[in-house]
Order: sequence, then structure tokens, then C-alpha cells
Amino acid sequence: MLTRLPSDVVAFGASARDRFAALGGVGLALRAETDPAARAAAGEALAELGAWDIDVRADADELLAAAELCRVAGTVVLPYPLIEQLLAVEGNRLALVDPRRPRIDHGDLDGGWLAADLDGNTRSAVTATRRPAKLGPFVTRAELDAESAPVPLGDVDRHLVLGSWRLLGGVDAALALVTEHIKVRKQFGQALAEFQTVRFALADAVVAQRGLEELVKYTTWRLGVATPVARHADAIALRLHADEVATQVLRCCHQLLGAIGFCDEHDVSVLDRHMQALLRLPHSAEALAERLVPAVSAGELESLFVTA
Amino acid sequence: MDYDLGPDAEALRTKLRALIAAHIPDDFLGACTDDPEDLALTERFCKTLAADNLLALAWPEEFGGGGGDVWQQTVVREEMWAHHEPRGPQYMGINWVGPAIMRHGSDVQRGKHLPPIADGEVIWCQGFSEPEAGSDLASMRTQATVDGDGWVINGQKVWTSYALMAQWCVLAACTDPTASASRRITLFLLPMDRAGVTTRGIPSMLGPHHLNELFLDNVRVGPDDVLGQVGGGWRVIKDALAYERVGIARYARCDSLLARLRESLGDEWDRLPGGLRSRWVRAMIDVRVARLLAYTAVAQQESGQPDDATASIARIATTRTDQSVAELLMEAVGPDGLEGDRHAVLHGAVDDHWRYAQAATVASGTIEVQRMLVARSVLGGR
Repeated sequence: MLTRLPSDVVAFGASARDRFAALGGVGLALRAETDPAARAAAGEALAELGAWDIDVRADADELLAAAELCRVAGTVVLPYPLIEQLLAVEGNRLALVDPRRPRIDHGDLDGGWLAADLDGNTRSAVTATRRPAKLGPFVTRAELDAESAPVPLGDVDRHLVLGSWRLLGGVDAALALVTEHIKVRKQFGQALAEFQTVRFALADAVVAQRGLEELVKYTTWRLGVATPVARHADAIALRLHADEVATQVLRCCHQLLGAIGFCDEHDVSVLDRHMQALLRLPHSAEALAERLVPAVSAGELESLFVTA
Repeated sequence: MDYDLGPDAEALRTKLRALIAAHIPDDFLGACTDDPEDLALTERFCKTLAADNLLALAWPEEFGGGGGDVWQQTVVREEMWAHHEPRGPQYMGINWVGPAIMRHGSDVQRGKHLPPIADGEVIWCQGFSEPEAGSDLASMRTQATVDGDGWVINGQKVWTSYALMAQWCVLAACTDPTASASRRITLFLLPMDRAGVTTRGIPSMLGPHHLNELFLDNVRVGPDDVLGQVGGGWRVIKDALAYERVGIARYARCDSLLARLRESLGDEWDRLPGGLRSRWVRAMIDVRVARLLAYTAVAQQESGQPDDATASIARIATTRTDQSVAELLMEAVGPDGLEGDRHAVLHGAVDDHWRYAQAATVASGTIEVQRMLVARSVLGGR
């Protein structure tokens, strides 16, 4: 049993963290809403870090490097379709979509797009112009065009898992911000962190974050060892859990931050707004849960007492 | 990263399941029932495990144990709890009383107490909680007053699980009410048949034997009965808690019951309300998360760097999961869940689990205490 990330992966993540901080951290994401150069800068930073040299399909080590990069990118809601480019097929970025209502985050960026559903059915996609929005500021509508060769289910699974790492990064960042806030913010003559109800709320958020951290690592490992049906169920289960943990933690953060947490001058506001696309695309939590119901029925969601 | 518990652990899991299948009937729901045969069954099973060197698997070989690693211990903990703890109340002697005696007991105490525990021949209970001292153990009132070279103990313990079954008790008493909280308490190894000890079962929703009162009326104890140092009880308790920091593997029974009920319901499962099936999905994920969090605490134990917060996080996750799964299972079986006898669905396991799960966030350190520890690890302070 080895539950820690390899040291070289951690070091890679630290480099990425420094690089994204130099770009302005969450501030880059906010700037990207109005300044196209910001997303270009994010792309350049990823290239400098060697992101596009990572072959996420190659082996577990490469996948872990990509996962850590996604986590760090999530801490600043890096305004770039990182996962979609890591999983590009023949130069076309790969997005996961709900075919009934296809939307692609950052779909307005130059380059071709492939859109796959959770079964791997794939079409080329034509994206529309981005429209200003508080939630999903980079989400574009897409029209699904010609049928393409289905992507392997393994790519769908990697997509879901890497997206969960990004969400974990956002949760990490929001939790760190609120922890600092309640240590220094005083009300009724004492720091918020002195109130037991605040301490309990934070403890619950920490439990949720730690649980997600373990599940995301475990599921990444499972991609290399489980049967195809089991790892597909695992990937969906992880994304469902990541969605719900992120929602819980962000809610907790807003409550503890008060009004400042809704202001874009505070990073939590930007983190929350910019995480919404990942939380709801290609499907929101309840739809993912419904999708897993047949997997439970078929014994595909494995446990100590269920084997696919 | 590697989440494989290793071939030894998996082989052990297979072996334990085979032993359980061979010796434990399907309708077994633990030793704490009104049927004395259930307790007798656990006593026989403990001897079966002991004969295979599996009962004290986690103990060092020098104390009659199997020298198993922490992952094998984890497998034992999971398989036993998943199958309604066929070791009965003896798990307490194995899990922490024995290890506490190894660390803090005298050579005489080790020689006297460890072999019967490892051989499956003795039941221990723990006399800690009192009517006025629950989570706040330091405020206990049971008094050990010096008398000659020993003490006379007077007081009352409460919630004492297995007190009516036990032959021995690890009893905490105050030997110096003027000392600091950490130096006030002494632990005594007390035979339950000593003069002045009386017990009374407390009828409860948990079922028989889980909750009892223990009355101590001029109970004489001597220096040989002290575990560790006089005034050093708090240290022994903290050590014991550290040894058993992960606690019982509640997630494993949740896992087992979800699997068993899914199978038992057959096609009927697909006709459960959609919302209930979605909750079932989430419950299976929660069980997985609880298991993984328990593994982080075990991994820390293995590395020799345990921390309170990690164990508390694991306990919070597993106890909450226990309760939510209990509610889910009851809803899934509908009115049948109100029938608790062995002719009911899963032989009454759903009813049994629901009742016991109600205490999950109270027993062995309340969830409030766990949340305090987690918050302290992040924020400092209290």
C-alpha cells in the first residue's frame, strides 16, 4: 500500500504552482474573462512546463503527472482547456458533452474539437462564439457534426478523473482561503475560528476534502488495474463525488466568508464561478448518479463484497 | 501509488471468509443477543481462530501473536466486523487490552493475562465512562482511596459494554483528586468476581449486553492490580486509543449489507424508487471513501507517524456512513425492517444494523470530539 504521490510528481506540481502564481494566480482567470491574452498566457505557461509532452495514455506515471498538473491548475482555475488538450486526438481537443445539449468550455479557442459522450461516441464539433456569463464564462454552445471514430472508453475515464483532480484543486484553494479568513476575521471580539460552530463547519469541509483526495488518488490507480467496466463505473463515481464535495465545500466557504466571498476581488468568488462549468459538464451530479444505477445493478461498482 | 493490500492480506481475507462460512451460520448477528448460544458460538470461533494463530494475529510473536502486519490486521478488522464480529466481545481484549498490557503491564501481568486473551479464553470489558464523565473522562468520580498497601474503590461506571459477560475489567479510577487531570487516573486490572463488584444490564435499543452499569462498593485492589504507573492511567488510555485509533471497520459491514441486500432483493431492486437507488449509488461511494480514509490512518500507523486528525477524519467518515447506510437499508426494505427476528429480511440484519448505527457517532469518542480534533489540526487552539 502506497498512498502518496511520487516525489517527482510532487516536484512537478510545485513548479506548476510557482509558474501559475507568477501569472497572477486566480487573478489570471478573472482577467481572462475580458482579456484574450490571458488564456494565451496560460497556454504558453503549460507549454513551458512541458504539459504537452505528457502522454496520459502511456502509463501510470504519466497519468499521475497530468493529474497533479490538473490539481494545481484547479487551484487557480487556470483559464485553459488543459484536460481537453492532454487528451487531444490527432490534434483535435477532446471534450466530454451531453449530446442533447452540447457545450464546450473554452470552445471558442482556435483549433479543432471532438465531442464524446460518456459512452465514447464521438463527433466533430463546431463551436459558437462565447457569450458573456458569470457562471461558465468560457462555455460555448457546440453543434455536433460528422460522426468520428469512437474514442476508447479509457479516454472518457481519464477525462472524468482528470476533471476530478481539477475540482480537487479548486476545493484545496477555497478551503485554504477560508481557513486563513476565519483565523483573522474577528466578530464579537474574537476570531471566527474561536466559535465552535465555525470550527465544526470547517472540520466537516476538511473531512470532505480529505475523502475526495483519497478517492481521486485511488481511482487514478484503479484506471490501471480494474476491468474496463469497473474502471468506467469508478471514474463516473469519482466525478459524482467530486462534484458533490466541491459544492459542499464552496457552500461552506461562502457561509464562513460572508459577503466578501461573493465579490470578485476575493478569489473564492472567481473559483466558484469558474468551477461551475466543470461541475455541470458534461452532466451534473444527479445525472451521473442515475447513470451509475445500472452499474450497481450489474455489480460493476466494485467493493470489498462486490466484484464485477 | 499502489492500493493493493498485498498477497498476504488477500490470502488472509480468503482464509477468513472460508472459516466464517464453515463455522458461522448465516443468521448470526453477533454475541449481543438474548440467545446464550450466540455467545457460546463466538467463544468456539475464537478458539478456532486461536488454533490457526489468527486470533492474536496482530500481536508480536513473543507474546503469542502471529506477527501480522498492519494490513493483515486491517483485513481481520474488516472481515470480522462485516460478518457481525464472530469473535464476540473478545475483540476488545485482542485489539487494545492485550496490547496495553504488553506495553504497560508487569511481567507477571503479561504472563497471567496475555495467554488467555491470545487463546480466546477470556472476555474483558472497560470501565471508563461514568454518569458524570462521558467524553470528559478527566472528571470521573470513581475514587480509589489508599488503604494499607492498596486501595478501596467506590463509585459507578456506566455504558460498560459486555460487563455481564466479562471475567475481567480494565477499570479507571481516580487515585489523586488533587493532581492535574493527566495524573489523576489509575487503571486497575479487576476480576469481575471480586467482592463489591455488581453489574446491571440497561435495556436499550441497541440490544442486550451493549449497555450496562457497573457498581463498585468497597472493592479492594492491590499494587499487583495496577496497570502501568499509579496516576499514569491517562497515558495508558491515550496509548490504547492510539493502538486502536481507526476503530471498528463499520464501513465493511455497510459494504457487506449493501451487497447482501442488493442480492436478496433481486429484480425488486430495479423497482425501488429512483431516488433511493441514487442514494444507494452514493452510499457505495461513501463506503469506499470511508475505507480509503481508514487506510490513510493505517498507513500512518505503519510509517510510525500517526496523527490524531487523520484518525478522526476516518472515524467521522465511517460513522456518518454507518448511519446513512442504516437509514437507506431500512427504507429499501420498507415495513419488513420493523420485523427484527431471524425470519426477517437478511435474518434481521437490517434492523440490527440500524439500531447499532444510532450509537456510531457517540460510542468510542463522539463525533463532536472528533470534529474538535480535526479543527484543532487545521486552526490550532482548543
